[in-house]
Amino acid sequence: MRETLSIRVTTYALLALFVVMVAVPLFWMVATSLKTNKDLYEDFTYLPKRPTLQHFVRVIQREDLLTNIWNSFAVASTTTAVTVVVSAFAAFSIVRYKYRGREWIGRFILFKYVLPTAMLFVPLYAIVVALGLGNTLKSLMLTYLSFTVPFCTWMLMGYFRSIPPELEEHAMVDGCTKIGALFRILLPLSAPGIVASAIFSFTLAWNEFLLALVFTTDHTTMTIPIKLSMMVVGDQYIWGQLMAGAVLATVPIVFLYFLGQRFVVQGLAAGSVKG
Amino acid sequence: MRTRESLGGIGLLAPTVLILVGLVLYPFFYAIWLAFSDKTVGSPGQFVGLRNFIYVLGWPQFSTAVVNTVVFTVSAVAIKFVLGMAVALVLNQQIRARNVFRAFLLLPWAMPAFVVYLVWRWLYDPLSGLINYALIDLGLITNPIAFLSDRNTAMLSVIIAHVWRNFPFYAISFLAGMQTISQELYDAAQVDGASRVQQFRHVTLPGLYHIIGVVVLLTTIWTANAFEPVYLLTGGGPSDATMVYTMLVYVMGMMNLRLGEAAAVSTLFLPLLIGLVLAVTVLLQRKANA
Repeated sequence: MRETLSIRVTTYALLALFVVMVAVPLFWMVATSLKTNKDLYEDFTYLPKRPTLQHFVRVIQREDLLTNIWNSFAVASTTTAVTVVVSAFAAFSIVRYKYRGREWIGRFILFKYVLPTAMLFVPLYAIVVALGLGNTLKSLMLTYLSFTVPFCTWMLMGYFRSIPPELEEHAMVDGCTKIGALFRILLPLSAPGIVASAIFSFTLAWNEFLLALVFTTDHTTMTIPIKLSMMVVGDQYIWGQLMAGAVLATVPIVFLYFLGQRFVVQGLAAGSVKG
Repeated sequence: MRTRESLGGIGLLAPTVLILVGLVLYPFFYAIWLAFSDKTVGSPGQFVGLRNFIYVLGWPQFSTAVVNTVVFTVSAVAIKFVLGMAVALVLNQQIRARNVFRAFLLLPWAMPAFVVYLVWRWLYDPLSGLINYALIDLGLITNPIAFLSDRNTAMLSVIIAHVWRNFPFYAISFLAGMQTISQELYDAAQVDGASRVQQFRHVTLPGLYHIIGVVVLLTTIWTANAFEPVYLLTGGGPSDATMVYTMLVYVMGMMNLRLGEAAAVSTLFLPLLIGLVLAVTVLLQRKANA
């Protein structure tokens, strides 16, 4: 009895510590974005005394941040659309077809999933320049496939394996083609997995930093991470606007994260019930 | 019929193979060729043998980067491991509103990394940053500390920011592992009079061996190749105190435009990386097949 009490106390004390540890930087980001410059640099306050949206207005009007958000959105959604189609076909092929060498492709896909971009950015830069794609969003849409496709293929392979092939075989006995079975049976059944992999792909592309830093040089072609990182060195009193930009860059991704959690859990549950 | 079917399968795989060959394999070998050439942006580049390697190896900044990369990786992985395990243990207890706390504690990992490092740069600010104000208000210091531009604190500050963003990956993985350990094992241990600490050592840890192996290897690779924390917090400074190898490759290749030497730096890290990548690939495949 005394042991359980002391464990409960320790548990909640640690929990409180962890919550504070996570909350402080988040709080500071939001609080800074809402404070006046006076409260930021002259009379220091922990809470925003006179909450204002002026930094949001300024970062959009003066820094034209919506252009960069749009760039990020265009790159991430194009990459995701291509990735989902390509990866679904690849995963279907590896899981449901029998031909020589498919295990090797599977292994290589996993290998790429763990191989970091930092190893490849110098040659990718040379390739992008040689293709005449320097300083374009196309260079990002193209090169991001190098990590989104292996990641999503690996994920969908697991998903498709959890769905019994008999369902497709029945459909094929009834005269459906193999590709038809993919579209009519497998894809609808793995909808949560498709959504989850789309969310992951979008997030990876939205957050990507190194390639975007290397490939884009104009304020009009920069994605949001690069634009914000360039603002840091520009002006000493930029933090209000920077944190407003940080909030704008975070909201869509955190929203997708909560959405994604639901789909991933749903998908796993569906897989285990049907499997 | 059989061949037609395999042709269909290969057709479906073709786009992925194209992407893997064009955007992974080709650049991978191209990087190795670059390391043996004097290519700069705009010039074709000639084979120069080992010249880049000899230059890089004899260069003090390279050995600084090796030491810093090891220090950063080992300490960050160790701290993330301990913190992640503690968080997982707490979340594995029966606590109220557990799902809410779990979602909240995972937020740093859900946030874009660049946002996290910009926020930490501002937290560390010597003039108006929260950490300095809080430490002064608590009476712990009298003068603000320039966390990111002081040689003594820069590396630790970068590590702390990186740990804050990445510990949830450890926590979520360990928690998932803990939830697969059967309650019966704990009950049996309790009957045998095992204390909580003994239960952790003899039931929890052995049940997590596989996950620990995968997570530690995987994140060692990611941590050793981290670029954003250093680029966004210190740029490798002050006077190379936080210069890790990815930052060095960036400085060489993109700021000095010496692609050959930049590629030589990453090629020198290649054997170690391939070893780690192969190890984790084997572990993950075993898991996928089990």
